[in-house]
Amino acid sequence: MKYFAGIDIGSTSIKITLADEAKNIIGFKTSASGSMFYKYAQETLDTLLGELNLDKKDLAYIVATGYGRKLYKEADENISEITANAIGAIAAAKEYGEIKTIINIGGQDSKAISLDNEGNVVNFAMNDRCAAGTGKFLDVVALKLEIGVDELGTRHFQATGTPLSVSSTCAVFAESEIIGLLGNNHSVEDIVCGVHYSIAKRIVKLVKRVGVKEGIYFDGGPAMNEGLVNAIENELGCKIFIPKHPQITTSYGAAIMGVDSYKYEQNQ
Amino acid sequence: MSTNIHHKIESPKDRQNRHKAMEAIKLINTIKEDFKFPIKSMEYFYDLFERVYCKNEPLHGDKVKVGTMCIQIPSEIIYALDGVPIRLCNGFYTDDEIGSDLLPQKACPLVKATVGHFASGNFSDKPDIVFSPTTCDQKTKAGAIIEKFGHEVIDVDFPRTKESEASREFFRKSIREFTSKLSKFQGKKLSRKNLKDSISKIGYAQSLYHKLTTYRQSDIVPILGIDVFLITNAFFFDKIDNWIDAMEALLEELEVRSKEKIHVAGKISPRIVYTGSPPIFPNYKIPQIIEQSDAIIVADETCSSNRMFNDMVAVDEWLVNDMLDSISDKYLKACTCPIFTKNDDRIRRIIHLAKQYKADGVIYQAFAGCTVYEMEQRSVLEAMEKAGIPILYIESDYSPSQHGQLSTRVEAFIESLKTRRRNKK
Ligand code: SF4
Ligand code: SF4
Repeated sequence: MKYFAGIDIGSTSIKITLADEAKNIIGFKTSASGSMFYKYAQETLDTLLGELNLDKKDLAYIVATGYGRKLYKEADENISEITANAIGAIAAAKEYGEIKTIINIGGQDSKAISLDNEGNVVNFAMNDRCAAGTGKFLDVVALKLEIGVDELGTRHFQATGTPLSVSSTCAVFAESEIIGLLGNNHSVEDIVCGVHYSIAKRIVKLVKRVGVKEGIYFDGGPAMNEGLVNAIENELGCKIFIPKHPQITTSYGAAIMGVDSYKYEQNQ
Repeated sequence: MSTNIHHKIESPKDRQNRHKAMEAIKLINTIKEDFKFPIKSMEYFYDLFERVYCKNEPLHGDKVKVGTMCIQIPSEIIYALDGVPIRLCNGFYTDDEIGSDLLPQKACPLVKATVGHFASGNFSDKPDIVFSPTTCDQKTKAGAIIEKFGHEVIDVDFPRTKESEASREFFRKSIREFTSKLSKFQGKKLSRKNLKDSISKIGYAQSLYHKLTTYRQSDIVPILGIDVFLITNAFFFDKIDNWIDAMEALLEELEVRSKEKIHVAGKISPRIVYTGSPPIFPNYKIPQIIEQSDAIIVADETCSSNRMFNDMVAVDEWLVNDMLDSISDKYLKACTCPIFTKNDDRIRRIIHLAKQYKADGVIYQAFAGCTVYEMEQRSVLEAMEKAGIPILYIESDYSPSQHGQLSTRVEAFIESLKTRRRNKK
């Protein structure tokens, strides 16, 4: 049996997905990227292989993606995260229907990708302003509110008043806005809810740049935050689809690309 | 497409209301929380804006709501004919964004927001009829667009000069026509009594505002400029009797505060006269930045505040036609809107305000896309320079993200005013 690894080296975390020849997910692992991308990526891959009782030799093809992809020298191929994201999303959403638009929120950027009927990328937009509307932004918020990032989702639904928006797009300024709100005794829930809506509004603007087409798929770590999902759905006015493991779509796409490239090479 | 998580999704209307509520509450909270020495009786106004803009509470029930596209439509006549005037100038960024899809990118945000508001059809007090004075081009054209959303919009001819006797006659005629149209719509006639009553009532409301301005002239200013904008903006749509009651309570409190020497600003906070495109709730971006930068707005020359309240209807003969003429004179002669040419009155007024209110400087905001305010900037700047009054000109719009850069400019100006003051001493 041959296996294919997709390694997505992002600004804040490394995601590795293994797929078999039939493009099924065999296993995945994530870890913080820290300061030594390459070393951590290696370690993560080794642990994953160990857990699956596999050996490096079982890997037929490795594709690296993400903004640290060029640092992963052992890869057989490098692809951009836009392409990898699109491929992974289409595969992950197969059972649910057709996807036309992808929203991806990463650690330090967010993007909207629009696809044609064949699943080719026709347009994409990236946030042009620093950490606005990214995972980093959520981290900063959670830290300031002294709650866990994974708590943001539940807190969102506990808000009772008007959501308190945070309009600074810069994480540093947003932090002081939040301190101000806290200082004035606003509830953590109303702030969390407001932050989600503020991010959602920015995301929807991004999506509008590529054109809103129903069949919207949302991935990246923040897609696990149900409050944020709810806010984006409300801003868009339609349902969006969240994959089972939203943080690994891109690495999965890279692994799939590996399968195709490998087969192509064999046929040459 | 199916989905794995099940949330109820808001309707577009709910979404828009939430956006507006978020904008509104943000401003209300900043005023309440960011400034020292809050005034108790301002609570009425904070609450009013929250009720109307966060909770969509209608105020006027079955009363006929007469929408006005600018201040040049006399409220005296609307009240006399048993209607409620609702000024439609809009300050919401949410509506500005909706309007941006319908109007040129470069249009003024106020007009975009007004058109956007109509496009959404989402009113807590929906106007039954709209009167649109042909003032600036954008407002004039907006009237025709709004009509497409199923509203009855009636143009009220407005002259672009005000010095000549002909323009005075022209506007008097125009006001008579407006009166007869509204009177037909309402099925009610103007009488000496109802017109006199409404002139007196508005006159009384204005007298309360005048009293308020006297506190702002003193060395110790007991009320923030941003609070005053709220008060005057509330007059656009509130029940007039409630507004009057709230003002009386406020003035009592200010009396106490001024005796206790409560100053809402710092010891050397520069005093500012504010002019330019009108701050309409909740777009108080510039006033807020000014007062957060340790300055205080003591007076303004804008159509959303002082310009509207300054002059009263001066009647010498209490006959219907005479009253109507006096009303039209007030709305024409006292107006210093830059749509007029020539508009030396505006410059005279700004200088006068600066002296009367002992201002250290003038801040002039023009909305990006508002040609008239942008064009008049030059002559105002020159005149202020001649008069030795420091002035800062800023272009802004409704977007919330501009805050950082703008506040740096305003702060620098205010600091220069402080230095000037120190050097004078
Ligand atoms: S700026 Fe002039 S035309 Fe525009 S609303 Fe104010 S008074 Fe009317
Ligand atoms: S701000 Fe300028 S463009 Fe906008 S309505 Fe007033 S006068 Fe017209």
